[in-house]
Amino acid sequence: MSSHAATMEGDGPFVSTGEQQVSAYHESLLRSPVFLGMVMFIGSEIMLFGSFFTAFFYVRFSHPHYPFGGFEIPKTGTAINTAILISSSFTMHWALVSIKRNKRFGLVVGLGLTLIMGLTFLALQMREYHSLGFVPSDGAFPSTFFALTGLHGLHVLVGATLLSIAFVRSCRGKYSADEHLGLEVTGLYWHFVDVVWVLLFTVVYLL
Amino acid sequence: MAVHAEPIPAPAHDDHHHGPVSRGGGSPWLGAGWIRAFWVSAAFGGTAILITMLIRHLLGFPHPYSAEVAATFGLTFGAIGFTVGIGCFDYWWGYISGQPDWVQEDHSQHGAYSWRDYFRVNTDHKVIGIQYLVTTFIFFLIGGALAEGVRAELAAPGTQYVSPGNFNALFSAHATIMIFLFVIPSFAGIANFVVPLMLGAQDMAFPRLNALSFWMLIPGGVIFMSSFLVTPFQAGWTNYAPLSEHGPIGDTFFTIGVQFAGASSIATAVNFLATIVTMRAPGMSFWRMPLLVWANLATSSLVVLGTPFIAGSQFMVLFDRVMHTGFFDPAKGGNVILYQHIFWFYSHPAVYIMMLPGFGIISEVLSIHSRKPVFGYRLIALSTVAIGVLGFTVWAHHMFVSGMASWLRIPMMATTMLIAVPTGIKIFSWLATIWRGMLHMTTAMWFACGFLFTFVIGGLSGIFLAVIPVDINTSDTYFVVAHIHYVLYGGSVFTIYAGIYHWFPKMTGRMYDETLGKLHFWLTFIFFNLTFMPMHWLGLEGMPRRVYDYAPRFADLNFFISVCAFVLGASTLVFLYNIVHSWKYGEIAPANPWRALTLEWQVSSPPPIFNFDEPPQVVGGPYEYGTPGARHAIVRFHTPEPELVTSRPAALPGGAVAAPERREAVLSAMKHILVVANQTVAGDKLIAALKERAGTEPVRVTVICPESEPGGAWVIDEARVHEATQARLDRTLTELRAAGVQADGEVVSADPYTAVLDQVEGSDPPQEIIISTLPSTRSGWMRRDLVDRVRDRTKLPVEHVVVDPAAEKSEA
Repeated sequence: MSSHAATMEGDGPFVSTGEQQVSAYHESLLRSPVFLGMVMFIGSEIMLFGSFFTAFFYVRFSHPHYPFGGFEIPKTGTAINTAILISSSFTMHWALVSIKRNKRFGLVVGLGLTLIMGLTFLALQMREYHSLGFVPSDGAFPSTFFALTGLHGLHVLVGATLLSIAFVRSCRGKYSADEHLGLEVTGLYWHFVDVVWVLLFTVVYLL
Repeated sequence: MAVHAEPIPAPAHDDHHHGPVSRGGGSPWLGAGWIRAFWVSAAFGGTAILITMLIRHLLGFPHPYSAEVAATFGLTFGAIGFTVGIGCFDYWWGYISGQPDWVQEDHSQHGAYSWRDYFRVNTDHKVIGIQYLVTTFIFFLIGGALAEGVRAELAAPGTQYVSPGNFNALFSAHATIMIFLFVIPSFAGIANFVVPLMLGAQDMAFPRLNALSFWMLIPGGVIFMSSFLVTPFQAGWTNYAPLSEHGPIGDTFFTIGVQFAGASSIATAVNFLATIVTMRAPGMSFWRMPLLVWANLATSSLVVLGTPFIAGSQFMVLFDRVMHTGFFDPAKGGNVILYQHIFWFYSHPAVYIMMLPGFGIISEVLSIHSRKPVFGYRLIALSTVAIGVLGFTVWAHHMFVSGMASWLRIPMMATTMLIAVPTGIKIFSWLATIWRGMLHMTTAMWFACGFLFTFVIGGLSGIFLAVIPVDINTSDTYFVVAHIHYVLYGGSVFTIYAGIYHWFPKMTGRMYDETLGKLHFWLTFIFFNLTFMPMHWLGLEGMPRRVYDYAPRFADLNFFISVCAFVLGASTLVFLYNIVHSWKYGEIAPANPWRALTLEWQVSSPPPIFNFDEPPQVVGGPYEYGTPGARHAIVRFHTPEPELVTSRPAALPGGAVAAPERREAVLSAMKHILVVANQTVAGDKLIAALKERAGTEPVRVTVICPESEPGGAWVIDEARVHEATQARLDRTLTELRAAGVQADGEVVSADPYTAVLDQVEGSDPPQEIIISTLPSTRSGWMRRDLVDRVRDRTKLPVEHVVVDPAAEKSEA
């Protein structure tokens, strides 16, 4: 096969090729199995949200107006909540940048703030649920609404769990400028949860 | 000179524990294991139920206990509790809590040192592979028994043994268990065992996640089957809404069980993807990966992207059942068709999830057992990917009669038929692979060939069903039942059997009984066809599926089918006996009984606990059979070498060298140099190098011209090639003799590696070897790392001279 010949160019059969450097001992982030695994897990999560968005759009476009069934959802309060969640992405980034420069203060405070904002988001979301005036069994719109926001809330909870782990570990002096893959992965997941919310907020609340 | 690779750093596992350490202290109640699994499972499930009752009480529900709610939370947390109790999370807990003595390289859960280790959480991919295969085979027997129940009921019209509801439960559980607990996970089992070995890796990328995947499958299966303790689910494996939403509580069990089976599959798929992308041995480019690895790459992508959709669909059914949401309830503004769209968006790709790994197995088995390279290797790999991509565009062909948007029909029909193209590429490539091969009809090969036969039938009836008018007539008839069994039994199950027989020696270190294996094949093959072939006819005649009763005119054929189905079921017992008996008493298997090139066969049987002492160096394609001396990879061992059976079984033992003859006494003072060259034999550089050598010390030269070059099979005029080689050799010898070098030579018919060994182990062994080749980009010999292999094998000094005849000609 021609590819064999190509890899043999040079002075011997064991000439290093691009692929050869790929090993379990990662050099770059995308070659790290952990990071790659998280990327693919997020791909899977996107599809899970995709199934619920499919249901949402399917039901939405089979009704003439929106929100169908005459339900009202609060936009202002949720917009504030959205701002909180978006800010938490920035503090997450701050924590990550801090540990890359070996600044532990930024790491611990950044993670702590992110965690607090994540939990605040969840609390406000619960409060919103309580004040909506309708429950999931009231119809197709409440069903899709609660399913989407609830699924997202569950992901915020998972993200917050990851953040708590990172927070506890960083308080105990773990992670360093060279060794912080767990933070990268947690950060990636947190940003994903954030992006999904922006999409969800736009589609469900605004449009 | 060829340059050796830099020594590859030894893996960092030298300090691993030899033998499983006792985990979790002394008490069996607290240490990871089955006892803890049971009580933690019960505690988690029970606590969850109590908490839901408390919450319902606080929220003011009239009845704190609701069976649906209790089932949902009890089963979910009970299953999670099982994985916690058995010990899947012990290691992670150390990480999570940031314990100071947390060690990164902890191998205490790795590898099986006794049979007990198969019943524990084990991170060794080989142990997990066998755990999967044994577990899924038990599920296969259960699912098969359920099918026999279906056939018993259908043996005659009217009610025989079961009520209509229980009949529904039988076929629902049969399909569910076969799909979610047998076919999908048993492919995961085979891939678990084989793929890391094939890649030259020591394990999967995430060994602990791998263990968790397996241990999530068990509660999944238990949940499915425990629904028989209450009222079993009866809505088929498709669990269509609204039927499932008004069904008994067993449907809640179904939706929860699917979540665990699905989560297990997704975690495994992520693991495979990360492993295949990041853990390949040096030199293992994507185009050098065995096709089984390609198949698992495509399958895993399908699982990662598809399975969340069935999770979503079953969540919605669960919500509709438990929380009374309105996803699929038109009275609340929902839509029933929506369920089918979401469900089939996963479940059609799932068909390929259940088939692509089998395709990979078939490529391996056919190539190895017919001693020929896979025909169209790249095309098979690419068609696998193509099937994966197209698989996401055909889901609505399951819904032609569902009342979905009618404009969707034609595109779905077109894409469905399009899938026949990559599938056809595979079929024809396989046929071309075995065409004029040296077929070794082992049981694995019989199953592979049987697969070709049955799968083509299943594929063709699939094309019938893709045609809208045909589908409308045959929907929900036995034609569909025949089709799905031809692709899932004649397809997937045959490939699983082929894979198990093929890798059985590697997995167990024992050979299976070929006679029993062949008996198993012929019983399976004949009675499979006798069982399912008549169903085509029944379907075309209009016998509906999933109904416990039928018109009397179908009675004879149904009775015949039932009898054949019982024999088919009994044939599994032959397999079971063969496997169990051979595992214990079978002949000890050599490392490479099939003389295969792929990496899993280059280690002992069963493989060492950590597979490879150092990453193997991959130097060529995986299927270069029939090319003499071809090699896929170089594997080195630090410890005493395991007994390897190579393509050249035990040459002359060292003591058998013939006694030196008289002439040798005179010549022995001179250094004997063996020159190996064919096309470059008269090259100026080679002759110059020899003359130079002759100038420094007394030498005598033996020149051999191994004639079999790669591609030799295509030489049209063998005699002329031989003449040309002889002429080149003569010219060289003349020139050398003219320069005063003692030279001798011959044209030999063997491949260069064998020819060298013949000389080295012959009556006049050389002290030094010079190998002359074309520049490495054009050299077939270098492509197969001849120089290094000769050096490794003979331990003699080997010089490599590169001759470029084209350049020399232009210089002249």
